[in-house]
Amino acid sequence: MSVKHGLLALLERGPMYGYQLRAAFEASTGGTWPLNIGQVYTTLSRLERDDLVRPLPENDTGQRPYEITEQGHAELAKWFSSPVSRADRPRDELAIKLALAMTTPGVDVRAVVQTQRTAAVRTLQEYTRLKTKADDLPWLLVLDNMIFQAEAEVRWLDHCEASLARYEAPEPVVTDTEIEVPR
Amino acid sequence: MTVLELRDVHRTHGSGETVVHALRGITLVVHPHELVAVMGPSGSGKSTLLNLAGGLDSPTRGEVVVDGTVLGECNRKALAALRRRRIGYVFQDLNLLPSLTAAENVALPLDLDGVRHSRTQALDALHEVDLDGYGDRFPDEMSGGQQQRVAIARALIGERRLVLADEPTGALDSQTGEAVLRLLRSKVDAGAAGVLVTHDARHAAWADRVIFLRDGIVIDTSGPLDQPEELLHAP
Repeated sequence: MSVKHGLLALLERGPMYGYQLRAAFEASTGGTWPLNIGQVYTTLSRLERDDLVRPLPENDTGQRPYEITEQGHAELAKWFSSPVSRADRPRDELAIKLALAMTTPGVDVRAVVQTQRTAAVRTLQEYTRLKTKADDLPWLLVLDNMIFQAEAEVRWLDHCEASLARYEAPEPVVTDTEIEVPR
Repeated sequence: MTVLELRDVHRTHGSGETVVHALRGITLVVHPHELVAVMGPSGSGKSTLLNLAGGLDSPTRGEVVVDGTVLGECNRKALAALRRRRIGYVFQDLNLLPSLTAAENVALPLDLDGVRHSRTQALDALHEVDLDGYGDRFPDEMSGGQQQRVAIARALIGERRLVLADEPTGALDSQTGEAVLRLLRSKVDAGAAGVLVTHDARHAAWADRVIFLRDGIVIDTSGPLDQPEELLHAP
């Protein structure tokens, strides 16, 4: 997701100025995605350049609210109707780390798996504790998203452990390019 | 004050070449207001641990102590009475007797001890799990989630302070399963001690501590952070 679409969604509720947008953005993500005010204004000026929002006259306190345009409505509708592409997400460091652990001599792969699993369960415990204190549905659903992702990680780690238990490492291949250590 | 203590508990099955070491030196202490989850792959010893904690099985070596009583020092009659009065169980299925109503199921442990006014206590217990008006229903007239709430009411009726739960949300959908865990959590917060065996990390996360078993030993433990809000601002 981009901050751009987040701000458009907030402006769909009605005109807002920068600080209001920042507060509303953070409130709707339960503080999981802190924004600085510079990001908000940079994004607003790009949205204005692309005719997705337009500035309104300054209010009495000198703040300039923005409102969404017709093109902005259309862009927002398009965003809501499109799936989020997995290709846009960064590669998973954990999967790469585990693959490397399996091919690096001297690494206890089961210990790598367990260390990660304990951390993921600990994270799950904390999200669950936050959930018991939460009563706002949008925030609860954001928390649930994080809970399900952490759970998926634990399930994948369980799967890795089970696969490792059945796995027999192949004999190392000696190639011609292997360097002989002079005696 | 501890409700449950496992002191260097071992459990082996069989002997000679076919010996299986189900548990190999488990030490665990569970206090009131504490829910401990046990996770591990199949065959890691989770169910053996729960059976030992509930006095349904005896350790080959080591001691199990419930509410200050060493289970190994009890005769059969005393052990049965302790199980009835101190320990509640919640299983994935076969929880309730189908020929008894919800109130009769909940009152059963009290009835076996000849406690008077057991029905009143049972109805109070059903009220606490949000099942007012369900006392005269039979299990097959209730949903899976409602049956599991009856099982939790029964597990903690009377003086029982230890609840042992084995995959209690196994057959339930996500929302209903979560409601059962919230209830278990609230019972523990109110003073009970609980041990929850589960393969599901999302369910284990309702516990204060999660212990990981593998091949009969504890390989790791996860307790919560002091400041969960810190996670939200992690890079």
